[in-house]
Amino acid sequence: MAKPKVSTDWMAGCAGCHMSLLDMDERIAKVAELVDLRSTPITDLKVPDESGVDVGVLEGGVNNTSNEEVAHRMRSRCKILVALGDCAVFGGVPAMRNFFTIEESLRRAYIESESTDESGKIPSDPELCKPTKVRALQEVVPVDVFVPGCPPSADTIFYVLSELAQGRIPDVKDDKLSWY
Amino acid sequence: MVTLTIDGKTIEVPEGTTVLRAAQGAGIDIPTLCDHPHLTPYGGCRLCLVEVEGARTLQPSCTMPVSNNMVVKTDTKKVLDARKFVLTLIFSERNHFCPYCQVSGGDCELQNSAYREGMTHWPLQPNWQPYPVDASHPYIILENNRCILCRRCVRACGELIGNYTLGFEERGARSILVADTGVPLGESTCVSCGACVQVCPTGALIDRWSAYRGHDVALESTKTICVGCSIGCGIKVFTRDNNLVRIDGDWDASINEGVLCEIGHFEPMTEKCDRIHTPMIRKNGSLKAATWEEALSAASAGLQQLKGKSTTSIAAMISTRQPVETIHNFKQLFEKHLGAELVTSTEEGCFTSFVASEAESAGKAFESKLADVRDSDSVMVFAADLLKDHQVAGFFIKRNLPAGTKLLVIDKSDNALDKAANKAIKPGKCGYEDVLKALSSAVVKLGLAKGKTAVKADELSSLAAKTDLTSDDYLDAAFIIASAERPVILYENAESIAALKEFAALINAKLIGLKGGANSLAASQLKLEKTYKSNGFKAAYVALGDDELSQKMTKELESIPFKIIQASYASSATAAADVVFPSTTWLEQGGHYINLEGIVQEAFQALKPAEEVKTIGETLLALSAKLGVTLDGDWTKEMHKRISPVEITR
Repeated sequence: MAKPKVSTDWMAGCAGCHMSLLDMDERIAKVAELVDLRSTPITDLKVPDESGVDVGVLEGGVNNTSNEEVAHRMRSRCKILVALGDCAVFGGVPAMRNFFTIEESLRRAYIESESTDESGKIPSDPELCKPTKVRALQEVVPVDVFVPGCPPSADTIFYVLSELAQGRIPDVKDDKLSWY
Repeated sequence: MVTLTIDGKTIEVPEGTTVLRAAQGAGIDIPTLCDHPHLTPYGGCRLCLVEVEGARTLQPSCTMPVSNNMVVKTDTKKVLDARKFVLTLIFSERNHFCPYCQVSGGDCELQNSAYREGMTHWPLQPNWQPYPVDASHPYIILENNRCILCRRCVRACGELIGNYTLGFEERGARSILVADTGVPLGESTCVSCGACVQVCPTGALIDRWSAYRGHDVALESTKTICVGCSIGCGIKVFTRDNNLVRIDGDWDASINEGVLCEIGHFEPMTEKCDRIHTPMIRKNGSLKAATWEEALSAASAGLQQLKGKSTTSIAAMISTRQPVETIHNFKQLFEKHLGAELVTSTEEGCFTSFVASEAESAGKAFESKLADVRDSDSVMVFAADLLKDHQVAGFFIKRNLPAGTKLLVIDKSDNALDKAANKAIKPGKCGYEDVLKALSSAVVKLGLAKGKTAVKADELSSLAAKTDLTSDDYLDAAFIIASAERPVILYENAESIAALKEFAALINAKLIGLKGGANSLAASQLKLEKTYKSNGFKAAYVALGDDELSQKMTKELESIPFKIIQASYASSATAAADVVFPSTTWLEQGGHYINLEGIVQEAFQALKPAEEVKTIGETLLALSAKLGVTLDGDWTKEMHKRISPVEITR
């Protein structure tokens, strides 16, 4: 059996879940043995193979049209989609923004921010993606495995990846289950 | 008894038990959120749904009474799916994002329930509707976004405290927890007892002080008692790295069953005075930091020269917040060994001396236990303000009023219970004996006397007039208290105790004296009850600890040439002293306390004092060693040497 191909990507998150992934230390060599690590935001290849991968891992919630593209692209190219971390699973800290309108958030960030002078303006270049309400990954595309945690511990991520590498769907529970 | 089967286990429980309690008793764990062992079942959260054979739908086990041959299953797929669905609905209702909340990570019952059911995500996302946050209260924050509408707080506020401040406005998803008619909590009728915070399963009601100071698993907890007043409520003190984090009422304590007042729950967190950290001696007119050795030498030298003279003119006072061991040693040192002219408590026996001599002349205890208040059908509060002091006793009364317990308040000044009372009478300028006479006369007139009295029915109008009240006032009042089957009288003003005792006998009522500080009764048993009278004292020793000295006493002390004070906090009294010893606070020491109903309890140390700070007990021993005397004797025996107004029990 060929090694399962794994791709990861991040959206509206803080990259902390990927840091936690790296935090598994020497076990990452074990993961590299078990899987064929394809694209990740922290390696050279950034986009999952068009021919598809076995496991797609996404960190972060979906908070703009660019994230939507990332989510849809990963979903269409992977067999099993993993939502990694509280932002991907629930929306996380970026979702605090949902209690305000997008206009309010943009005005606060680009005009009313303490570090902005009177020349501050909300970016409106047509090239830019459009901010949306912050959504959990499952609100945009179907998700197969949920790994909550802020971030999930390295142990949990290692467990999830090694289970997937061995063709099993991980059961995240008990001490591997945390939402904070 | 009823026999039923839960998960194949045959269980026998008394009739009226709920399925939930029956299961818990048999060691079968059913998850709950709105249930609380000290509150009436509500059936609001639906997390405890179980399958009952023959029932059409799943049943909430917390409100379902057992019946004979009932077959209950708590772990079928149907039940487990329902639990997950219930949690899904609760999580989708408001902002239950755990990373936003300080109780997450172990202290949140909602989060723990979700972990337990193995929920990795929420199948339904919240709708992002913001609810108001009320941070107007000095101790409590009301965060409606985290509320799960379980109404534990509402039930605690009403059923335990009798205050009925909290309630719900609107219906369904719009339901919102409000104080009174929707006023900010800080401006409401809230009495800051903290019961709502203690029962809240989520972070909807949190206390400002302990927020973010650590989860329960990271905290050390000490079960001890509050020494705020003579009730002696059981508390749990939570500390972290020798810092006070939180105080909760101890649900297992028989005296208060988890209920506390502001003084017990929140006041210890707000230490407003400056601590004294080292001993100090007056040198060239000003207080200078000194070593313990220097301070003890200065104190003993000052006392030594007065020792043994016929009237040595030493005045010695100790706070009733001190443990009985310390009070006993204090008495020994100053009365027996130093022959001090005045050895008394800082209360000067004002709450206890009349009562104690009444007990002595009667030859037996005549007061009753606080538990009688809870069972009473009519309570008379006699010249006692139960919202200023002894608040928990007030809660016991107020919580029973909706069930029909009658309340009569007799007080010359405004009383916090006036509004809750069925009748509040405010006598004018007269003695309380006159009031009791008029009341007795009214009892006789109503034909409700169960004992004898010299007062006659036809004296009522003249007796009433003497107190600036009408006969009708007294007839109403007398009916409330004398028609009851289990009347109880709570009193604080002890001057009219003889008349009060007579009145209690007339209507067959139980008497409960509130007394003063935590060890008021112990001080009284040791006869530390003399009133301070300025008498050319040459030296004064005030073992104040963390208590406050009255302004009057601070002024009286001014004229005494040599003053030794042991106190936790700097005050005008310590500033005027010649020797100052730093003292521990109540949480930094342990010892025994005898509450108002004579129950002996032990307080335990929850915090370590600073290096140079010592207990009054330790200081007394060191001072005795300097003076070449030994303190011995058993305080437990001393407690029974004098007849107590209430039986002293362990």
